[in-house]
Parts: sequence; C-alpha cells; structure tokens
Amino acid sequence: MINIQGLRKHYGELIAVNDISFTADEGQIFGLLGPNGAGKTTTIGCISGLLRPTSGRVTVGGHDVVAEAQDARRQLGIVPQELALYSDLSAAANLEFWGAAYGLSGTTLRKRVADVLDLIGLADRGRDRTSTFSGGMKRRLNFGCGIVHSPRVLLLDEPTAGVDPQSRVKLLDLVREQARTGTTVVYTTHYMEEAQELCDRIAIVDKGKLLAIGTLDELRRLVGEKDLVRLAGRFDAAAAARSLEGLDGVEVLTVASDSITIAAAAASRKLPAIFAALASAGADIQETTLSVPSLESLFITLTGRELRE
Amino acid sequence: MQFIRIAALKDLRRRLSDPAALAIWIGIPVVLAGMLSFISNTGGTPPRARILLVDQDKTALSGLLPAAVRQVNAPFDIEDVALDAGRKRMDDGDATALLVIPAGFQNAVAGTGSAELKLIINPAQQVLPAMVRQAMEVLVESAFYSQRLFGGPIRKIAAGTGAPPSAADVASIAVEINQQMAALQGVLLPPVINLTVKREASAPPLNFGQLFLPGMLFMSFLFIAQGMSIDVWDEKREGTLQRLLAAPQSAGQLLLGKLIAGIGVTTVVSVVGLLAAVFWFGVAPSRLPAALLWCAFVSGALIELLTFLNLFASSQRGAELLSSVLVFPLMMLGGSFFPFEAMPAWMAAAGRWTPNGLGVATLKELLYGNVSVTALGIGVLGIGIPATLAFVGAWRRLRSFANA
Repeated sequence: MINIQGLRKHYGELIAVNDISFTADEGQIFGLLGPNGAGKTTTIGCISGLLRPTSGRVTVGGHDVVAEAQDARRQLGIVPQELALYSDLSAAANLEFWGAAYGLSGTTLRKRVADVLDLIGLADRGRDRTSTFSGGMKRRLNFGCGIVHSPRVLLLDEPTAGVDPQSRVKLLDLVREQARTGTTVVYTTHYMEEAQELCDRIAIVDKGKLLAIGTLDELRRLVGEKDLVRLAGRFDAAAAARSLEGLDGVEVLTVASDSITIAAAAASRKLPAIFAALASAGADIQETTLSVPSLESLFITLTGRELRE
Repeated sequence: MQFIRIAALKDLRRRLSDPAALAIWIGIPVVLAGMLSFISNTGGTPPRARILLVDQDKTALSGLLPAAVRQVNAPFDIEDVALDAGRKRMDDGDATALLVIPAGFQNAVAGTGSAELKLIINPAQQVLPAMVRQAMEVLVESAFYSQRLFGGPIRKIAAGTGAPPSAADVASIAVEINQQMAALQGVLLPPVINLTVKREASAPPLNFGQLFLPGMLFMSFLFIAQGMSIDVWDEKREGTLQRLLAAPQSAGQLLLGKLIAGIGVTTVVSVVGLLAAVFWFGVAPSRLPAALLWCAFVSGALIELLTFLNLFASSQRGAELLSSVLVFPLMMLGGSFFPFEAMPAWMAAAGRWTPNGLGVATLKELLYGNVSVTALGIGVLGIGIPATLAFVGAWRRLRSFANA
C-alpha cells in the first residue's frame, strides 16, 4: 500500500531524511521508532505530499505522491503530531469539514460523522465547541478527523504525545481497530513500549537514517540474547574500557566518565566479574541497571545512545 | 466547487462564533454614519430663523417692513407678538431674534422725526442671528435711500389719514416718482456695472454625511480585510493549514473559500451601511445593487492583497504589524479619515489611486453621481489586476508558507 524507495529530504546543508526505504502492506501497523529529530515527521510529511522529497519515490496505493498527488492524497488520512482542529467549531463541525475536504457529502458524511463521534467516545459532546474539551478529548477528535473519510492509509505522527494514560489506551485501541478494517497504519513514536505493543513491523530511524527494520522478533534477534547493563558513577573511561575488554562475552557499547553501557549474555552471572574489573580500573559505581533484550537495547547497540536522549 | 463552498461556510461559521468581532465590524459604519447624520443634521428641512416682531408704530410703513423681509426670499419666519410675550420667548430661547419697531417709525422714514429699531438676537444660535442682522441692515439702508430719493411721496403717504388714498393722490405720487426717476436717468442709465449671472447646471453639493459614508464603509472593509487575511496565520498556528494542504484539494480552492467568506462578511456590512445611506442620506434604492456589487468586488480585492502580504511576514505578529502599517495610511489617503474634498489636492490625487481610494471615489459616484463606463472600467482594472496577481501569488506561496 505504501512503498518508499530511497527517500531523501534536504534543507540546504541539513539532511533530514537520508535514503530511507520501506513498504507497508494493507492492514499492517508500521512503526517508525526514533528519538526526536530522527526524521520521522519529515518522512510523514513526504508521504502526505506536504513536503516535496529531494529525491526518491513515494507511492501510496500505487500513486506517486508527487506526480499523482491528488490521487495519492485521496487514499490518506493524517493525524498530525500537533492538534490540527478548529477550536471555535464544534466536534461535529470539525468532522464534517474534514470529511468534506476528502470528498464526503450528504447522508454519507452525516452518517460517518455520527459513527466517528461514537467511535472516539464524543457522541454526547458532538455539538460542543472544541475549545471546551480536555487535552485527551482533543487528541481523540484529532484522530477522528484523520479517519472520518475512511482512508486506506493512515499516517499517525506521535498521536499520544502528551496524552493521559486513559486516553492513550483508548487511542491505541482505535489504531488497532483501524488496522483490523484493512487500513495501513504508519505510526511514528519515540515511545519504545508503544512500538512494541502496537506495531507489526518497525523501522528504527536516527539522524535521518534507517538503522534497522523488521518485526519485533526480527529486531530482537539483531541484538541476540544479550542483556543490557548500564552502570552510572565515576569512571576513567580509557582504563574502564581496557579492563572490560578482557572479560569473555562482554561487549562494551558506550563508555563515558559518568556512565558505561555493556551488552552481555546472561549478564546477571557476569556482574561480579564486571564489578571487579571496573574496581581494578579505579571506578566508583553508584548505580547498576540490567535489562533483558529490547528495542531500546537494540537502539543503544545501533547508535550508542539511548532512545530518549 | 463543493470544497470552496464548504471552506467558505467553515470560515463564516468561525466568524459567527465570535459575534463580538462581527458586531464591531458591522457597527463601525452604522455608528459613524449615525454620528455624521446627527452632525450634519440632514434628516430635516434646512433651519429657518424665527423673528418675533413687535410693531409699536402700526402705520402703513411699519406694515411694509415685514412684507419686505418676506420678499427677500431669506429663510425667515416672522411672527407678530406683544413686547412682553416676545421678551419671554426670547428668554426661553424660542426664537432667533426680536425686532421692535417703535412708534414714530413712519415719520422717521418720511424725514420728519427720528426712531430707533431694536433688534435683540438669540446668543445661543450661531448663524441665523447674523443673517437676520444683515437683512435688517440692508432694509435700513434701503429706507435711507428711499427717503433721499422719494421723500416727498413718502411724506404724502405718511400724512394720510389711514384711509385708502384717492385716485388723484395716487396719480400725483406716481407722477412725482416718475419725474424723480427721469431726473436720475443720467446717473443710473446706462448702468455703470453690467452684471451677468450665469448658472451652471450641476449636482447639488454633498453634505457632510454623504461625503463621509463611502470612506467609512471602506474603513470597515479594511478592518475586515485585516482580520480575515490574518486567518492564514491562525490556521497555520492551529495546524489546520498543513492538514488542509495534505488533503486532495488545491490551495487555490482553499484561498477562494476564504475569499468568499470574507466577501460574505463585507457584504453584510455593505448592506447595513448602504441602507443607512438610503434612510439617512436619501440615496435612491435603485442605486444599491451596483453599489453593493462594487463594495463586494473591492473588499474582496483588499482581502486578497492583504492575504498575499501576510504570507511573506516572518511571524503572525509581524504580519499583524505589517498590515497595520499599511492599513492606516491607506485609510488616511483613501478618504476614510477625511473625504477627498477636504484634502490637499496632491493628497487627494494620490489617495484616489490607492485601492480603497479608487473604491471610495467610484462608490461616491455610484451613490450620488453618474459614473461613466470608462471610470468604472479604470476602477475595475486598477483594483482587479493587482488583486488577481495577489491571489495567484498567494496560491503559489501558500505551501511553502505552511511548511516554513
């Protein structure tokens, strides 16, 4: 349904998206996982036709987003990261407008507005002005405006940013519901847990580049069975790195004067040896965290940085 | 087309959700037109001076005085009153002047005595008392020359008993006057001054309110254009512009919808303002359709020109500042603060070529005069071409503006 090949987007010297390629099929939830500034929103902008790619090709439903922009856009529904609502109109008026913007009219539009209001849990507030809504309600309406015309492809740009837990659960259910009806969903997030919980396939992006792509299991296999050990304290970086190099099955991912990240299979059994080696290097360990293989450990393995940095 | 209609309806709904702003826009021309009507007092007939006359002489000549005043075609109403009643009404401010003709007035005019006319004027009034005083001075001067030229016949009339004169007396007086005229013929004829009065056919001059109303309407249009054109920044801030540009509609349709909504608002204001022109300034209702169309055309052009400019500002505050910097001089030059008729010639000439000034000048002709096809054509092209270019420019600019 979506096919992206060699997508690049430059702003002068700045490379926002650098040679990204992926496909997403019908009914699939495709996650774009990466920290802020990774190029997720720019990628969404290029798919939606709002931004013109510097090079590469993006097709939606077989239509090129540049050459056949109108046909491609007709397939799309967009839920932007920031709220994009008319706060001085009612919820129903917002849905009616966005439905009409995608060609709905008459009874079809009215029925669809009623259905969506029901779906997003705002049926009893449909005639109320949007400016009177809570943040969570606005987020749900923002989502509703993106699906009111029943798009074949739904682009969700961090839809749960700043949302309370209850509304977040509701929104994720709504996303799953859309995928169940055959809609292709492209979901960007920097929440690793959301991507793990929701997405059928995930692409990890950072600094405009696609680092890894696959199902959750496929990505986990990339880090192998290694656990992640993070140590905080005071270190002599060079001495600490030298002391750990000699340990069997221990891979040093990052070393700094205040933290060290290590990947190791069955790390819990290797902790005494790690502590001893670091003590011989004059380290003062103040905090230790051990995590099982995850997207986050993969991200750190791939980038040497934490996802939330 | 459907999306243009829906986009326009959406913007109109949003405007209706802020009735205070709408009321201010509509209220500007109504309030100002009402105030101007009050100032210019165009609602009633022209003011007339009320002169209270106390005739203590009660002679044929004193009776001629009010008749003479009535004949000078001045806006005076003369009313005979008793002295006490006249003084009381003057104290109440009920009249412009009180004229007392004392006993012995006729003898004084005949040259056999003396008398002093008394004129008491109302200090609360500005112009009318001065007019009365001037008229009285002319009459007194006339009486002086009459006495010099026709003293004899006047004395004969004054000497009468009050009964109608006999045919012989009338004939004698007529002969005497004729002889006097014949004696003066050498001085009076041929006339030393030959005065020719030529009256040019012209439209009646416009009053204060009529001069100001078109400018007031366009002041309102400029305020509306400023408010409506900044909407692109509001939509950008709210994220709806970017979302709209990702929809399968062209940016031109979106801009057209906004333009139609803006014209919808200005049309409401135009209807109110033009109805005020009909009721307060006597504009013929048959002139309204053309005036309404013209207002819609020019106000739409103003919205488009300001929208185009706003798209090049670096921030919403910058856009607001830019449009304010532009709008207020345009109001000043374009006849909204002062009518062209009250401006220095160079300023009026420059102002008539601003978009709103061109609009004001043509609207005046549409309401009060006769606009020629050529003048209308110049107006349409002078405003339409820049507005069309602004629309196309805004269309091309909108996407990069949204992403900036």
